[in-house]
Amino acid sequence: MKYTNPFISENPWNYSWCYSAMPLTKKRSPDGQSEEQGRYLQANSREFNTVFAYPNNTIKTSKYNILSFLPLNLFEQFQRLANAYFLALLVLQLIPQISSLTWYTTVVPLVVVLTITAVKDAIDDLKRHQNDNQVNNRPVLILKNGRVECNKWMNIHVGDIIKLQNNQPVPADILLLSSSEPGSLTYVETADLDGETNLKVKQAISVTSDMEDNMLLLSAFDGEVKCEIPNNKLDRFVGILMYKGKSYSLGHDKLILRGCIIRNTDWCYGLVIFTGPDTKLMQNSGKYTFKRTNTDHLVNVFVLWIVVLLVCMCSVLAAGHYIWELKTGYYFQDFLPWSKYVTSPAVSATLIFWSYFIILNTMVPISLYVSVEVIRLGNSCFINWDQKMYYAPKDMPAEARTTTLNEELGQITYVFSDKTGTLTQNIMIFKKCSINGVSYGNVFDRKGEKVDISEKTEKVNFSYNKLADPKFSFYDNTLVEAVKHGNQQVHLFFRSLSLCHTVMSEEKVEGELVYQAQSPDEGSLVTAARNFGFVFHSRTSETITVVEMGEPRVYQLLAILDFNAVRKRMSVIVRTPDDRVVLFCKGADTIICQLLHPSCRYLQDVTMDHLDDFATEGLRTLMVAYRELDSAFFQAWREKHSEACLSSENRERKIAIIYEEIEKDLTLLGATAIEDKLQDGVPETIATLEKAKIKIWVLTGDKQETAVNIAYACNLFEDNMDEVFIMEGQDFETIRQELRSARHKMKLDPTLESYLLTSKPKPFFRILEEVPNGNFGMVINGYSLAYALEGNLEVELIQTACLCKGVIFCRMTPLQKAQVVELVKRYKKVVTLAIGDGANDVGMIKAAHIGVGISGQEGMQAMLSSDYAISQFRYLQRLLLIHGRWSYIRMCKFFNYFFYKNFAFTLVHVWYSYFSGFSAQPVYDTWFITFYNMIYTSLPVLGLSLFDQDFNETWSLRFPELYEPGQHHLYFNKREFVKCLVHAFYSSLVLFFIPMGSVYNSVCNNGKDISDYQSFCLMVQTALLSVVTAEIALKTTYWTMLTHFFIWSSLAIYFCISFFLYSDGLCLLFPSNFQFLGVARNTLKLPQMWLTLFLTVLLCILPVIGYHFLKPLLWPIGVDKVIERIHRCMRQPQLLLIQPKQKRPTCRRSAYAFSHQHGFGALITSSKTVKSPLYAKRVFSFQK
Amino acid sequence: MQKTSQSSPSRRPDNTAYKQQQLPACRVQLTASRVLLCFFATGLSCLAMGIVLLLSAKGIQEVEINYTETCADCAALRENADNFDKECSCSIPFNIPQAMQGDVYMFYKLYGFYQNLYQYVLSRSNIQLVGTDVKHTDGCDPFATLNGTPIAPCGAIANSMFNDTIILSYNFNSSEDIKVPMLNQGIAWWTDKYVKFQNPSFNDLPSAFEGTVKPPSWSQPAYELDADTPENNGFTNDAFIVWMRTAAFPTFKKLYRRLHRTQHFTEGLPAGSYSLHITYNFPVTKFHGEKSVVLSTLTWSGGSSLFLGLAYTVTGAVTWLAFFSMMAVYVTMEKRI
Repeated sequence: MKYTNPFISENPWNYSWCYSAMPLTKKRSPDGQSEEQGRYLQANSREFNTVFAYPNNTIKTSKYNILSFLPLNLFEQFQRLANAYFLALLVLQLIPQISSLTWYTTVVPLVVVLTITAVKDAIDDLKRHQNDNQVNNRPVLILKNGRVECNKWMNIHVGDIIKLQNNQPVPADILLLSSSEPGSLTYVETADLDGETNLKVKQAISVTSDMEDNMLLLSAFDGEVKCEIPNNKLDRFVGILMYKGKSYSLGHDKLILRGCIIRNTDWCYGLVIFTGPDTKLMQNSGKYTFKRTNTDHLVNVFVLWIVVLLVCMCSVLAAGHYIWELKTGYYFQDFLPWSKYVTSPAVSATLIFWSYFIILNTMVPISLYVSVEVIRLGNSCFINWDQKMYYAPKDMPAEARTTTLNEELGQITYVFSDKTGTLTQNIMIFKKCSINGVSYGNVFDRKGEKVDISEKTEKVNFSYNKLADPKFSFYDNTLVEAVKHGNQQVHLFFRSLSLCHTVMSEEKVEGELVYQAQSPDEGSLVTAARNFGFVFHSRTSETITVVEMGEPRVYQLLAILDFNAVRKRMSVIVRTPDDRVVLFCKGADTIICQLLHPSCRYLQDVTMDHLDDFATEGLRTLMVAYRELDSAFFQAWREKHSEACLSSENRERKIAIIYEEIEKDLTLLGATAIEDKLQDGVPETIATLEKAKIKIWVLTGDKQETAVNIAYACNLFEDNMDEVFIMEGQDFETIRQELRSARHKMKLDPTLESYLLTSKPKPFFRILEEVPNGNFGMVINGYSLAYALEGNLEVELIQTACLCKGVIFCRMTPLQKAQVVELVKRYKKVVTLAIGDGANDVGMIKAAHIGVGISGQEGMQAMLSSDYAISQFRYLQRLLLIHGRWSYIRMCKFFNYFFYKNFAFTLVHVWYSYFSGFSAQPVYDTWFITFYNMIYTSLPVLGLSLFDQDFNETWSLRFPELYEPGQHHLYFNKREFVKCLVHAFYSSLVLFFIPMGSVYNSVCNNGKDISDYQSFCLMVQTALLSVVTAEIALKTTYWTMLTHFFIWSSLAIYFCISFFLYSDGLCLLFPSNFQFLGVARNTLKLPQMWLTLFLTVLLCILPVIGYHFLKPLLWPIGVDKVIERIHRCMRQPQLLLIQPKQKRPTCRRSAYAFSHQHGFGALITSSKTVKSPLYAKRVFSFQK
Repeated sequence: MQKTSQSSPSRRPDNTAYKQQQLPACRVQLTASRVLLCFFATGLSCLAMGIVLLLSAKGIQEVEINYTETCADCAALRENADNFDKECSCSIPFNIPQAMQGDVYMFYKLYGFYQNLYQYVLSRSNIQLVGTDVKHTDGCDPFATLNGTPIAPCGAIANSMFNDTIILSYNFNSSEDIKVPMLNQGIAWWTDKYVKFQNPSFNDLPSAFEGTVKPPSWSQPAYELDADTPENNGFTNDAFIVWMRTAAFPTFKKLYRRLHRTQHFTEGLPAGSYSLHITYNFPVTKFHGEKSVVLSTLTWSGGSSLFLGLAYTVTGAVTWLAFFSMMAVYVTMEKRI
C-alpha cells in the first residue's frame, strides 16, 4: 500500500474542500478494496461517519457460511490443478466415442476425495467461526447519549468514544482522549503486537485530556480527525485533530492500538479511529502465506513429468493404432465395421489418443493428494499426542498447527533460534555478589566444601523483612548476617542497588509491591536489594522513597544518567536525607574499572577475580560503584548539563562528555552476578542437534555480550573453539575485510573463493557446502549486518557464516531476522526452521520453511503464526529427530511406493495394447480400476506411512546421525523417482508377460477356456495386487498388529470383493455393469493361475531384495555405516558404551551483560510525570 | 498461563501405546544370512517346480492341421461376400503316428483374429443373453438392428461366430471311414452355460425369438444352431457360449468338440490315418488370418504350453546364479570392512 499524505498542507482546515473532495477520496477499486486517500471522521457523529462506509469492528476470518459453503468450496477445490484435471478427465469419459473406461472409474474416487477435503474445510471453518464469534462478542463500554453503555466489540464504529479500564484489551485503534492518570498518561502493554513485555506510555493531548471523565464534555466532543489511511506500520501515525477551530497534530504516541492491554491506568477514554480489518493489528497479521514443502514441489514436478510422459505414450499408442488400422483393422471390417464418424485410420487414431489418455491417467492418481493429506494429518496427530512433548507445569502439549509440513521436520539443516524466552527462560536470578572484596552466594557444607544448589538446599529466611518478595530465594546466610550486623559497605551496596535503576513501583495492596522493570536484570537487582532490607518503595520525578531496614527514607533524585549501549553504565545522583550528594553507578566491569579511583586498586583486583569466577559459571555481571560529590561541583555540573541538553547540535555527544565528567574517581562497592536462566535441557539439545549436522544460528535483539554469554552457556560456542570472529564494522569496506579475513582463516583454498567472488550473484545461485579446517564461531551485529546485506556482501556473509559451527546475530530487528532467514533460503538449498516466542520473531517464523513457536508464553503472536508450537526448546530434538525423521522417511516411502504401484498398474495397459490392436482395451476389469487406489491398496500404504519406524525413538535419539539423509533429500529425489520408474517398468513387464505366456494358446485341464479376456484380466490383476502388497511388505520394517492387519486384510478384501463383484446375483441384477460372472470361481481354482501368481511375485520381489542387499555393500552412503552400527548394537547391547562427558575447560572472559537499551530515565525526570494523588499521599505518609 | 481450576481436564495426551507410537511390533530385518538363504531356497524350489512342469507338459500329444492354405479354393470363394449362400467344403487327410491316450479334445485355432478389440468386446447385450429381454440390443452397435428389427443375438461378437463344420473321420482298415464320435456339449464353463446365458422363457424357442432377426452373417437363426439336440439351441448353445467368451489375444484356440470314448475310441484316438472334412464358411484370408484344427490331450497343468515349466526352470537357475554372485560379493566386501 502506498502511503500518501495530501492533507497536511490543508491546514487550517477547509470544510468546503473536504465535502467536495469526499466522493473523490473514497472509491471502490475493482477488487472491492476501498481506496482511501485519507481518513476523515468526526467524534460522536455516526451520521457523519456513515458517509464513508467504514467497516465496523467485526472481524471475519471465516470463509464460508451455510449457503455459500458448497458452491464456494467446490469452486476452490476445482481450482486445484489436480482436481480440475480429473474433472476434465471425467468430461472426456462421458464422450462415448473416446470413452475407454466407464464413468464410475473416475467419479467414485473424485467424489471421495472431494468429500474428504470438504469435510476437513468445514471443520476448519467452523473453528474460525467460533473464534470470530468469541472475539466479536467481547464486551466494551461505548459512550452513547451521555451515558456509558455496555456493548459488543463488533458494534464499535469509527468515531465512537469508548471507555477502557485497567487490564482490558483494546478493541480497536483509538486516539487517547483522557485517562485517570495525571497528564493523561496511559500505560499499555504491547506484548501481542511487538513482543516487548515492558510497559509503554501513551499520552493524550492537553485539549482533550482536560475533559477527563466528564460525560457531558465527552459527549459534546465533536473534534474531527483527518489522518492517514489504514496501514500496517505499528510505529507511525500521522493525523490532525480539529477541535474548536484549532488543529493539533497527532503522532503515534497518541494512538492505542488494538491488541494492547491497558495497565496501571484505572480508566481511559479514546476516540475510535480504525476498526476491524483496518486496525494496525489486522493489517499486520497479513495473509497467511501457504507453506509448501520441498517434497510437494518435487511431487508437482514429477506429476508434470508424468503428464508429459503420458502424452508421449498416448501419441505412440495412437500412432500404433493408425498403423494397425491401416494394415489389419481395415481388412477386419467384416467383423467390426468402423463407426460412421470414423472415415480413415487417422480419425480413429485421434480418438484413440484420448481413449488411452483416459486409461493411462492412473499414472497420476487422484488419491495421491488425498492420501498425502491423510498421512500428514496422522503424523501431526502423533506430534499432538506425544506425552514426552507435553509440558506439565503449563499443561501444554505440543501442537502441530500446520498439518502439511511434517516431512520437512526431518530435513532441517538450519535452525534459527531466538534467545530470550526460547533458549533462556527470561528469568533473571540474583545469584551471587561480591561486596568489598568478599564473595557471597556460595553454599558450603559443614566440612567447608562447596555444595551445588538444588531444590533441597535450605533457603535464606527473609521473614525479618515484611516487604520481602516471597518468590526471591537466596542460599547464602552469611550475606544476611552481614546485613543484619549493619556492615556499612554491604548497606551501601544494597542502597545503591535500590536507588540506581529506572524501575517503577506499584503498591496495589498494602505491603505488596509490584515492580515494573524495563528489563528483568534491573528487576532482579532491585528485588534483591528489597529482600535484603533496602526496599525501593516508590518514586516521583524528584524523589525516590526507600524503606531501609524498615525505615522509610526519601532521597532527592537529582539526575539520572541513563543507560545506553555505548556507555554500558547508568548512574543516578541523589541528595540523601542527611544532605549529601551521592552518585551511584552500575555498569560493565570493563568500563567501571577505568572510572575507579586509584585507591581502589586492591579491591578492584579481588573483585575482578570474583567476576571471573562468576563469568565461568555463565553468570551476568555488573559492577557497582559510588562517588560522593561536592555540592558546589555538582551545581556547576548541573548547569553545564542543562546547557548541553538545550543545545541543538551534537547534543548526544555533548551530553556524553558531560556525563563522563562526573562519572569518574568512583569508589568500588562490589559486583553483582545474575543468572540468566536457560531453559531445561538446552545445552544437551543443542549438542544432539549438532550431532545431527543441524546448524544453529541464534538471532536475537539482545546485546552482543548477553548473546555471547548465552552461546557459551548452551554449548553453541565452546571454549576450545579455534576462534570466534566478531563482525562489528561500521562500514561496508571494514565488514568486507572482516568477512574475508575470517573466511581466509577458516579455509585456505582460495581457488573456489575467487571464482565465487567474481561471479555476480544470480537469483538461483546456490552456495556449495564447504568444509572449514577447524571449529569456528561468528558473532555479527545488527548494524553491521545492515551493511553486509547490501550489495554483493550477502554472498560473502553467507559463505563465511556457513563455515562456522555456531553463528550469533545480535541486535537484530524483527525485519533483519526475517532477512537472514530469507538469505539462507535463497543461497542454500536447505530446509530452515525458525523458533521463537515473541512477536519480534513472527517475521522469521513466517519466513522460514518451518516456524516453531514456544507456547505458553504471555504473547501469543509467535505461537499463532507458527507451524508447530512446543512449550520447551528441548522438545525440538524430539520434534526433529523422531517425529520429523519418521515423517520424512514415511513420506518418502509413501511417494516411492505410490508412484511405483501406479506405474506398474498403468504400464501393463501399454504392453497389452500391442496385442489388442491398440484399441484402448484395458487389461483390468473396470471395477478393479475403480477400487485399486481407493480400497485394495489404500490400507497397507496408510499403515506404512503412519506406523513405520526404521528405528525406534531410543535409537533415533542415540544416533542423531540417522537424521542426515533427510537433509540431503536422499530418500526421495529425482534419482529415486527414476529408479521407481525403472522398477515399475520391470514389474509391469513381468506382470504382463508371465501371465500372457502361461495362458497364451493354453486351455484348462478340461479343455475349457483359460485364455479368454476375462480370465486373463483376473490373472493379471491378482498378480498385480499380490506384487504390490509384497512390495509394501518388503518396505515395512516395523510390523505392528495393525500393519499385519492392514496388509493381510487388504489381500483378503480383494478376494472377497472379487467374488462379490463376479457373483451370480450381482451380475444377473446388473448384467451390463457387472460382466465378469463366474470368472473368479473358474479361474482361481486352476493350478496355472496359482503357478503364474507365484512366479510373478517371485520375479518382481527377488531383484528388489537383491538390490537392497547389495546396495549398502557396493554403493554405501554415509548413513549405512550408522545403520550397520545400530544393527550390531542391537545384537550385542554391550557395545553401547556410554562415552564419558568431557568437562569443559574453564576460561576467563568478561561476562558483562545487561538486557535493556534505553531507560525510562527521561520520562521519570520529565516534570509531566507527577504521580497520582494516591501515590503522593502514600509517600507523604512515609515522610511523616 | 496457569491452570484455570483443578477440575478443568488436563491436556496431557493419553498414555496409550497407539498414541505414543509404542505399539508392540517386530522389526523385520533383512540380514545377510536370511537373504542368502531365501535366494538359495527359492532357486531350489523353482528348479524343482520347473522340472515337474516340463515333464508333465512332455506327456501331452498334440496334432495341429492348418487348413487355410489347404482349402485355398474355399478361402477365395469366401473372400467375396456375395457367395455367402454357396457351399464349399474340403477334405484333409492326415496321419496320427502314435495313439493319443485318454481324453482327446478338438479345438479350432484362429490366427490374427482380434477378439479383444475394445469396440468388439463391448458389442454385446448381456441383458439379451441372460434371457430377460430378447429385444434388448443396447450397446450392440453396429449389429443391433437390421432394418429396424432387433438382432438376436445382437452385436459384433455374435455376428462373427465361428461357423465352420469340422468332421473327423478315422480311416479304419484303410478302406472304411468311420466318423469319430464327438460330443458338442460340456465344452463351456458351467457358469456360462447355466447362469450367464439363458434362453427367453417361452414354451418353444422359435416363438421366444419372435420379433427378432438372425445376425447377418449367420445362415440359420439362433434356435436352429444344433439340429440334433433341441436343448442345445438358442443362447445356451455350447459352441455359441464358447465363442462369446472372447479371447485375450489375437491368436487363440477354442474348444470345438471332445472325443466321445466309445467303440474303437475308448482308449483315445488310435494311431492311423484320419481325415478332416470341413465345411468352409468362416473367412480368414481377407484379414490375413489363418485357421487350423488342433487335436490334443491334456494334463493336470492344462494345455500344451511349455512356458510355465521353462519359466520356472530359468527363474530357478538365475536365482541360484544370483545367490552365488551375492555370496561372493558379500564375502569380499565383509572382509574389506
